[in-house]
Amino acid sequence: MKTIKIKGLFTALMLIIGLYTNAQNIELSGFARTYEGILVDNGSFGIVQQTLNLNFEKRGEKVAFKANPMIFMFNSDSFDFRMREIYMDLYFENFDLRIGQQQIVWGKADGVFITDIVSPLNLTEFLLPDFDEIRIGVIAAKLDYYIGNSTIEAIFIPQFTPTKRPAAGSIWYIQPDFPATPTFDWTQSEIDPSLENSEFFLKYSAMTSVIDFDLMGGYTWDDNPTMHVEKVFGMDTSTVPPKPGLIGLNITPKHHRLTVFGGSFSTEIKGFILRGEAAYYNGKHFQTTDPTAVDAIIEKDYLNYVVGLDFNIGPVKLSGQFIQKYIIDHNDLMTENEINNMATFLARYDMLRETLHLELFSYMGLTNGDALIRPKISYDFDDSFSILLGGNIFVGDTEGQFGQYGDNSMIYTKIKYNF
Amino acid sequence: MKTTTKLIALAIIMVFGFSAKAQITANEIVEKVYNLPTGEDVTSTLNMTLTNKSGQTRVRKIQQYFKNFGDVEKSIMFFMTPADIKNTSFMNWSYDSDKSDDQWIYLPALKKVKRISSDSKSDYFMGSDFTYDDLGDRKLDADVHKLLREETIDGHACYVVESVSKDEDYMYSKTITWIRKDIFVGMKKEFYDEDSELLKVLTIKKVEKIEGFWVITHSEMKNVQKNHKTTIKLSNIKINTGVSASKFSERMMTRGI
Repeated sequence: MKTIKIKGLFTALMLIIGLYTNAQNIELSGFARTYEGILVDNGSFGIVQQTLNLNFEKRGEKVAFKANPMIFMFNSDSFDFRMREIYMDLYFENFDLRIGQQQIVWGKADGVFITDIVSPLNLTEFLLPDFDEIRIGVIAAKLDYYIGNSTIEAIFIPQFTPTKRPAAGSIWYIQPDFPATPTFDWTQSEIDPSLENSEFFLKYSAMTSVIDFDLMGGYTWDDNPTMHVEKVFGMDTSTVPPKPGLIGLNITPKHHRLTVFGGSFSTEIKGFILRGEAAYYNGKHFQTTDPTAVDAIIEKDYLNYVVGLDFNIGPVKLSGQFIQKYIIDHNDLMTENEINNMATFLARYDMLRETLHLELFSYMGLTNGDALIRPKISYDFDDSFSILLGGNIFVGDTEGQFGQYGDNSMIYTKIKYNF
Repeated sequence: MKTTTKLIALAIIMVFGFSAKAQITANEIVEKVYNLPTGEDVTSTLNMTLTNKSGQTRVRKIQQYFKNFGDVEKSIMFFMTPADIKNTSFMNWSYDSDKSDDQWIYLPALKKVKRISSDSKSDYFMGSDFTYDDLGDRKLDADVHKLLREETIDGHACYVVESVSKDEDYMYSKTITWIRKDIFVGMKKEFYDEDSELLKVLTIKKVEKIEGFWVITHSEMKNVQKNHKTTIKLSNIKINTGVSASKFSERMMTRGI
């Protein structure tokens, strides 16, 4: 989390509001939210968060503008100011151009990121934030060219933005288990902004009466750094008598180029919405225990895909997805499994004239036998004010991506005022 | 938030005048209502007020567009209020053939246009007292119609027609509709539940002639069992202004009005 001084935050806020009040016809909307979560394990407050979300928008016939700053206050003394988006739109007869910091969402899957790789993720609170808050805006130029109900979308990103990870000390930070004392060198984890280091994405999409589909490609950077590991051998003085052996690890995180091709579709079949999405990732670097591998990494391609179905049973809306990641030409020395299977499930029921909402969403790790189960109930007191009670329950194998947070199961409440 | 089918189809009913025949049958009456000519395109602002049994109200404001493309009718809605659904949009393509409607919703928070199922006719639209089926074009031959009598409502002579669904699983056991004899616009409709008890009453409060078409501009649906109601008022109605075909696209859903 990037913490800034309150004074600077206050100045920025006043500047924004000043701009708003001095401008004409700029629409202001947003929400204020208080969010508190208690860890089931020990009763401590895992989350104490106050949020102010502001949307400044102005749209004309030919141009539009949007700025979306968000201010988070954690506990009582830590602030995080995020400019989620700030961009300008230029509208032409057959194409639109959007320039600035923007969040770009691709694909047909819900809650998983297959071809949706343009905007990186903020995982400082794992996958718990609402999906509209988990993405990080990228500074980009986006061109949408329209041909009937088809769109060609081209994106140029001059500056790479990586996934944001939990800081050490966060309840969401998992300390890797190293066989020797690690020494990290982060100097090579930054990607200098240049034309050579830019990212490019291209997508063709079509909306028809039979099917919606898109085809995409991207020349990008892996949002997650690869850990290049150099083993340091010497005399281990912790043993008596000292013995030669592994005494340290020099770890250098680096981002590598990825080339991605994929697509997605969505269609209705007798009241069921069938969705699918797949992507082929070329140039991914994986960790390996192969002693001959340089820096303990190996380059492999992998396939990631999802198949989903949305349907209703009476008033209850249901959705299920199966997700598989398959590493091509896998070998047993790689630390990651050849196949990783996952599923999601969603059930939602709106009642009392859509003022009371019941929802159950779950990620299920089928390979490791773990899950994140997220029940919640929310009530709209009126059109502006709502209260939500929910739970985040982590269960299963502690080696799994969900089970590893078994100590972080929590119940929480969110009270929100929209304006 | 839920979606709708063809809100405009009921919220705006446009007719040319008809002269009633002396020996008209129930099917002929309903057919005249069903086949009422509509404008090639319609633009309007819809204000929907939900009132609960305590008298508390919630208001939804929607800007909507409709265009007839011949074998397909397309409509698009942009939700303007309340704040939490502002800039949400919904698009429906309805076909003359037996093909079910195509529907999409754009949720600005998710920045994604999603195809959704149109197979939820008995769901209520945005928490209102109107189901999607109430708001859509019900097929002429979906019900068996019977002319019960003739009555006068608010000084207008009406046919009173009972309609019973051919589908035994339909949400209403029957409906009774009061249809004006002079212009073949429904003025009142009663909806009976599966136990044949009166469930809801739709009352047309105001009909106006705009651009040569009769338009229902104010209607009220009351749930008499739960004592809550929904009123719909239309304003800024424009007919046959040449709404662009490109209005009904993913581009416009995401851009908004």
